[in-house]
Amino acid sequence: MTTSETKRNHIESLLRACRLVSRINKNRPDCKKSELMYYQMLDKYFNNVQRAKQENGFLAAHTIFFPVEILYAMGITPLHNEVTTWTTALLLGNQAEFLTAGAEAGMAPEICSPHRGLAGGFYRQMLPRADVILWTNLICDNSAKAGEYLMELNRCPGFFLDHPFGDTQEEQAYMVEELKDMISFLEKHSGRKMNWDKLAQSVAEMDKQIKLHAEICQLRKAIPSPFPTRRFLEFLTVDYMFAGQPEATEYLVTLRDELAEMVQQKKGAVYPERFRLMTLFVPPIYLIAFLENLFQEYGAVSATEPLFTYWKYSPLDPSKPLESVVKKSYLIPESRTMYGPLGESTLQDIRDCARDYRVDGCIYYAFMGCRHTCATVKMFKDTLNEIDIPVLTLDCDLVDPTINSQSEVRDKMEQFFELLEDR
Amino acid sequence: MKAVGLDVGSLNVKAVILDGSSAVSFAMLTVSEGAEPSARAALDEAIISSKLNGDELYIVATGVGGKAISFSQQQKAITTCLARGVHYLFPAARMVVDVGAETTTVLKINDRGRVTDWAGQDKCAAGTGMFLQAMAKIMQVSLKDMAEYSLRAKNRADITGTCAVFAESEVISHIHRVPPTPKEEIIAGIHASMVSRIMGLLKRLGIEKEVAVVGGVALDGGFIHVLEEELGFKVLVPENPQMVAALGAAILAKENLEKGVR
Repeated sequence: MTTSETKRNHIESLLRACRLVSRINKNRPDCKKSELMYYQMLDKYFNNVQRAKQENGFLAAHTIFFPVEILYAMGITPLHNEVTTWTTALLLGNQAEFLTAGAEAGMAPEICSPHRGLAGGFYRQMLPRADVILWTNLICDNSAKAGEYLMELNRCPGFFLDHPFGDTQEEQAYMVEELKDMISFLEKHSGRKMNWDKLAQSVAEMDKQIKLHAEICQLRKAIPSPFPTRRFLEFLTVDYMFAGQPEATEYLVTLRDELAEMVQQKKGAVYPERFRLMTLFVPPIYLIAFLENLFQEYGAVSATEPLFTYWKYSPLDPSKPLESVVKKSYLIPESRTMYGPLGESTLQDIRDCARDYRVDGCIYYAFMGCRHTCATVKMFKDTLNEIDIPVLTLDCDLVDPTINSQSEVRDKMEQFFELLEDR
Repeated sequence: MKAVGLDVGSLNVKAVILDGSSAVSFAMLTVSEGAEPSARAALDEAIISSKLNGDELYIVATGVGGKAISFSQQQKAITTCLARGVHYLFPAARMVVDVGAETTTVLKINDRGRVTDWAGQDKCAAGTGMFLQAMAKIMQVSLKDMAEYSLRAKNRADITGTCAVFAESEVISHIHRVPPTPKEEIIAGIHASMVSRIMGLLKRLGIEKEVAVVGGVALDGGFIHVLEEELGFKVLVPENPQMVAALGAAILAKENLEKGVR
């Protein structure tokens, strides 16, 4: 915290970037309504964050896979740490500033880059100071270890939500108790009360959203695949930031209808569609536009992401809101497939997706700062190789551009497309 | 029309000309004034030694500088070319180890000479030809004499560094020990450190017989000896291991000509 410049609030910059993208999108003839809605949602989200600080609101900074529906039902403004960092990387391209700040804050380069960046963001006051820090072990070890330091940086209290690995009745009951403790903690520190009716409404919305996610999964099985690679992050962010909120339902309905129309018209996200891919883990976010262009150039499309977007519907019960929040936490594809010991069901999901989405190959984005991502390279690759699906393992980072260059990524992708073509 | 393969590497550019299914000529030149002029010079040299008379050429370029060759009809990835080249020379080969100047690549190939999987080491010079060259300089031994020293060694010095710079420090510390580690043992240790990195790549893909070793480092008998010891079986080394990617590119050019692609 050396100069006034480093204290610049990046939320304001994010808001300006969202509005600029929205203006550009409005003038793009191929821009879908859902894409416009997405940027409006981001605008609203970061505007809420801004207002929370300006209008005596209560700002809860939280780690990934935290049940935001609880916060919305209590009138507390959420600030999703990881999404804020990667949205910054994507829209502002100033991730280096966050990562340098993270290094100043004492974050070693081996740590997950979004976590380094967000620590740096708080350290240099590029992000607004949170009133509470909420963190959980779902699904990431870094998240589990991040909370105390974030509390220190924000000089605020915090709550660790302990999510059990398994989903037995006892473990689900334990998780319900954890949520109750967290609600008491939030009531004490925010002065706000839980609105149980609002939470029940959120659960009803979540039920619709999971159904919509599952429908979208079905639509993406079509040949050609209707969903462009670059919009994968939208799909994640909507759930991470707006779970249980009506705008997320509206977005998903619009997206589903758009995809259904494309499927009916046999229109694909790329033309001609030459390579249907499965992608595992998250592509380098700062290269997402470059990857989209490369995929367009080669006629490649990510038809399925079994670890992130492969939702399976199971009903939630609004009359049991906390139990439903817990149930939903086990339905999230990431937690279903990656949390805790790796089970046969995850490998089966991968096999099922390879078959159902008729994939030609798989790109494994081995995010080097993520233990989860790198630990499973061999098993996932062997699983796919057994069913004759070639796998490209691309060592990369989510937001840190120093790990590999664009030309290196291009070379490897081109080699892989050549391998697929030559089979 | 003759099929030509050009492999534009970081140190050398290689050209192979095919007539039917046989390589009629090849040439290798050091990259000097940029990729394109060097490639043209290598091609000219290959043309002269082939005694071709004004034949039209169909050229496939590969290697790190392959995309820079404006006079080629097509550019292909080095992995595809290596697979074709090795399959042509050794149809039974199912794995390829390519140790070039700056990269190490291990491929799995099928019975049609197609790549089924690959893994590369391109983040650090350790384990590459450049590394071996740097080590030879430190050891004050010519590259071609490295094998002789290595094969004479009764033991191998421990060189555990996974980074070229750290490995160099280890080698220097062996030289300055009292008494110094014998030269033979240090050089055998250098070969063993390279092999250990390559074994990691081979195991990642799953080792399958037969294994062909190509690239300039395959000319180093000491390296090959250590690799064979680690694998527990003999590997296949072509007569001109540096030319295999160019040969593969020429085979791809020939395939294109046969398909009527111009």
